[in-house]
Amino acid sequence: MVNHKAHQAAADDRVMFGFWVYLMTDLLVFSVLFAVYAVLHGNTVGGDAGRDLFSLPLALQETILLLTSSFTCGLGLLAARSYKKWQTLICFGITFLLGALFLSLEMKEFTEFIREGQTLQLNAFLSSFFVLVGTHGLHITSGLLWMAITMAYILKRGLNAPLVRKLALLSLFWHFLDIVWIFIFTIVYLGAYS
Amino acid sequence: MREFWLGRLTSHSLPHDWVMVGGTATFIAMFLFAAVILTRTKRWKWLWNDWLTSVDPKKIGIMYFLVAGFMLIRGGIDVILMWLQQVLAVDGSQGILSADHYQQIFTAHGNIMVFFVAMGFIFGLINYIVPLQIGARDLASPLLNTLGFWLYVGGVVMINMFFVFGGEYAATGWLAVAPLSGIDFSPGVGVDYWIWSLQISGIGTTLGAINFIMTILKMRAPGMTLGKMPLFTWASLFSMLMAVAVFPLLTATLFLQFFDRYFGAHFFTALGGGDPMMYTNLIWMWGHPEVYILMLPAFGIFSEVVSTFSRKPIASYTANVLGMAGVSVLALSVWLHHFFTMGASSDVNAFFGLVTLVISIPTAVLFFTWIATMHKGLIRFDTPMLWFLGFVTIFTIGGVSGLVLAFPPADFQLHNSLFLVAHFHSNVIGGVLFGIFSGISYWFPKIAGFRLNERIGRNAFWCWIIGFCMSFIPMYILGIMGATRRLDHYESSTGYQPFFIIMLLGGIVIAVGLTLQIVQILASIIQRGHLRDNTGDPWNGRTLEWATASPPPFYNFTVIPHVMTRDAFLDMKRLGQFDQQYEDILIPKNTAVGIYIAILAFLVGFGFVWHINSLVVISLIGIIIIFAKRAFSEDSEYTLRAEEVEKLEAKRIAKVPAHEKEVKSLADEEDMSVWDFVRYVITFAMDIIRNKKWKTW
Amino acid sequence: MSTIAPHDENEQKTVSSYVVGFILSLIFTFTPYLLVVNHYISGRALLITILTFAMAQLLVQVIFFLHLGRGANARWNVYFFVGTFIAMLIVVVGSVVIISNLHNNATTLDQTRKIIDSEGIYQVSGELTGACQGRHTNHQIVIKAGKSSPILTIAAKCDTLTFVNKDAVDGQIMFGTRTKQTTYAGLDKLAVRKDHTKTISLSETGTFKFYDSLRPVVSGSFAVVDDK
Repeated sequence: MVNHKAHQAAADDRVMFGFWVYLMTDLLVFSVLFAVYAVLHGNTVGGDAGRDLFSLPLALQETILLLTSSFTCGLGLLAARSYKKWQTLICFGITFLLGALFLSLEMKEFTEFIREGQTLQLNAFLSSFFVLVGTHGLHITSGLLWMAITMAYILKRGLNAPLVRKLALLSLFWHFLDIVWIFIFTIVYLGAYS
Repeated sequence: MREFWLGRLTSHSLPHDWVMVGGTATFIAMFLFAAVILTRTKRWKWLWNDWLTSVDPKKIGIMYFLVAGFMLIRGGIDVILMWLQQVLAVDGSQGILSADHYQQIFTAHGNIMVFFVAMGFIFGLINYIVPLQIGARDLASPLLNTLGFWLYVGGVVMINMFFVFGGEYAATGWLAVAPLSGIDFSPGVGVDYWIWSLQISGIGTTLGAINFIMTILKMRAPGMTLGKMPLFTWASLFSMLMAVAVFPLLTATLFLQFFDRYFGAHFFTALGGGDPMMYTNLIWMWGHPEVYILMLPAFGIFSEVVSTFSRKPIASYTANVLGMAGVSVLALSVWLHHFFTMGASSDVNAFFGLVTLVISIPTAVLFFTWIATMHKGLIRFDTPMLWFLGFVTIFTIGGVSGLVLAFPPADFQLHNSLFLVAHFHSNVIGGVLFGIFSGISYWFPKIAGFRLNERIGRNAFWCWIIGFCMSFIPMYILGIMGATRRLDHYESSTGYQPFFIIMLLGGIVIAVGLTLQIVQILASIIQRGHLRDNTGDPWNGRTLEWATASPPPFYNFTVIPHVMTRDAFLDMKRLGQFDQQYEDILIPKNTAVGIYIAILAFLVGFGFVWHINSLVVISLIGIIIIFAKRAFSEDSEYTLRAEEVEKLEAKRIAKVPAHEKEVKSLADEEDMSVWDFVRYVITFAMDIIRNKKWKTW
Repeated sequence: MSTIAPHDENEQKTVSSYVVGFILSLIFTFTPYLLVVNHYISGRALLITILTFAMAQLLVQVIFFLHLGRGANARWNVYFFVGTFIAMLIVVVGSVVIISNLHNNATTLDQTRKIIDSEGIYQVSGELTGACQGRHTNHQIVIKAGKSSPILTIAAKCDTLTFVNKDAVDGQIMFGTRTKQTTYAGLDKLAVRKDHTKTISLSETGTFKFYDSLRPVVSGSFAVVDDK
């Protein structure tokens, strides 16, 4: 007697909405990190400022990588909606690769800074830089993990309705991370040269 | 290798002074006692299956009450210790506590009362009542709810963990302002415990709040538009919206403070370019709205109570809702009034001072709706209503003293004095705590199936009111005399001592009140046959929670009601519209995922406190694995068939004796008094001793 | 939001929405990048411009990628998004305004020095601060192929001096000589990365030597004279 289809639709709607609210709370976490960066970015205590450290071409590469991955992620979701298993897997595979590439570039930047002695212990500017960009990187990492697990399940179980729902959440998360990165790119990297 | 598995834990971390040994021993004794009873009565399985892994919001609500109740006693003992210290530590005498220990106690008191008592009770009430009020069978995400609860418990355990390991709590004040809370000035583990206790329970609160927002916005009974929602649900919605808006800020701020302490970053340090005032700024962006997160549900409770006990619909429902909305919006933009003396220019101070004054307007609107509701109402003075009247008096004192503090020039004189402490206690005790007490005595019949003892309830109420006035009116005076807050020693020439003595006496009266409340519950359990309410509607209620049985079945409603009007249940009773068409019900399965993740989250925090990196990594991996497994499992619900529902209902109705099916009079002459209770306990104890009954246990 | 419903009536339309969003995002990424790299504008105007582009891209992605506001139950998602945006503004703008106001009003020593420099306050309560009034001439010392030129720069007090590193290796300018290090106006070292410049303002008078601690061949000196 329970109308399972209606029940499932209502539950999906709730989960999607709840996840959206979660993303909003995550945005607020980032807002604190941005506020801290905005307040502390000048406090270098005689050390290098952003414009002495950051490489804009690298930041641009990262931005393009993430933007493209956001695009392929969207295409992947469309493929998943029409239950095209391999098309979905290819799209999300590309997304995964682009994300991983983004992460490796970020790691490269971080290790370079640390090798040069520009660590987060040096001054408030570097603390806020590492934590803001690093928190975004951590989100990317968990997104990649999530993507990998979901793709493994698609391979194992085939593309079913619950997995498409998971992919919808995942792609929401991924687009959201791209949006946060736009502001990191603008405020941290480009902003350093203004 | 040692470092890898144990971090900085050594044998020195174990308790070695008598206070800590005593605390540890008490905790261990309590656990052992509980364990022995559970083993003797063979209740372990019952505890695990029926309670700990339950996803039923009603059971989770009750567990919230129990934990919060324990923490209320724990925080209350802190108060008595502090006030005793303030009475004794004059001139040559150093009192009973060292300065450091005293600082830890007032810090713990603040944290416990706000995070684990007020938040615990509020979340308990919302858990129990909101789904019933909106005619829902469950919450939007039962899993998130149990996870939120267990993270809260994780925070409770973490804040008490210092008794066992480390022996010191933060000595920084409840918000651990920087740079005092930085690693340079607080090198011990106290502040780390503080960070992780708040972090874990704070994340639990965020998750819980998301869940309630989903529930309230998406799961209301058919016909219940937003404009027909009960006021407690409205209040909970506003409270949870604010929680979603500001708890992430707390999470982020604690995260940054953790980075300062653990990795040597420079966010809030005095050196290295850090900005300690940024910490104050961020923590109050969360801290101020937090007070309103606690306050709004209490407002909602009072709206329900006033309307029910005046036997009138609330006067101007719209104004009430708009008032709460106004309070929530304005609450987000007044945080700077907590640090007027920081050194901002008069423009900035004036702006925040004005917004603070403006917030009294929507609050006053709420008060007027309540007063107008009582006007020409047939008021019944049962305990819930008494708590409301106590609230009106004391909260007004607190509110007006708050207006005084909202003027920056006055604040320059009064900040950090006991005047401020008296102000916010008037609001938090008079507002939040009285609201909770009112709510508990109002909804107790729903939760337990029998109402609370009125007589002892009234005694407890008067103890609280008298004790409160004895404690906090002298405190206002002390503040104006110049006594600073967090004072652990002073000279007799200041003339403070007599006031501190009155305060302590007041504290003892409050303690008697609290004891009477425990007695009230015990006496009600003893007399439950007499107090039983079989109608499910002892107060002639107006909203849907009274439409179901008391206590409600685990599926809340046999039939989901269709809502036509604001006072949905009242109108159903008038019109006699009750549907009896049973249907299949989907019930979420119990799960231990919440408890496992909370344990692992606790271990992550504990690992960070003691620099045990192996523990942190292992626990994090554990959390990821559990999440991944749970997220992809499709088996979380089962169907309760309509025939079974019908059988359960028939069974419940059969249990009720025919003559008790009508509303019982609420006359309390037959309720036992305190002395009856004492006599009963003595007789009971004598019976056990004389007949050697303990042998058969 | 339409992302919920697995039955999109018009898939082609959705694909094109992603493509449009992607192209617009690319435009909104490259434009501010080129503005910054080519120094078309600078300072506050640049900051406002690039933030405007970021906001535009935010809107593009929200509309074309997240499809916010589309679908049956989208209302609440939009409300929450707008509400969060306002809360974020309160957090960021509130913090910046409060803290900068605080630093103008009750400053730390570090902050005082910054304000003195940026506002050109050259005297406080009748005492000279050492800050310079107005802008003066800029001098350049170019480090190229392991040599710095000119070897000696003569400048007036309050002029500015820019080290330009045109080599492919990073440099670190120290003051004094290798055996006897000194500081200039409280500065002990100056990192000048490859293809970067560093500017200092000349507030201390006298003759100073400098060298590159990473490449000792690079060295030179400058003199600052009081022009009053």
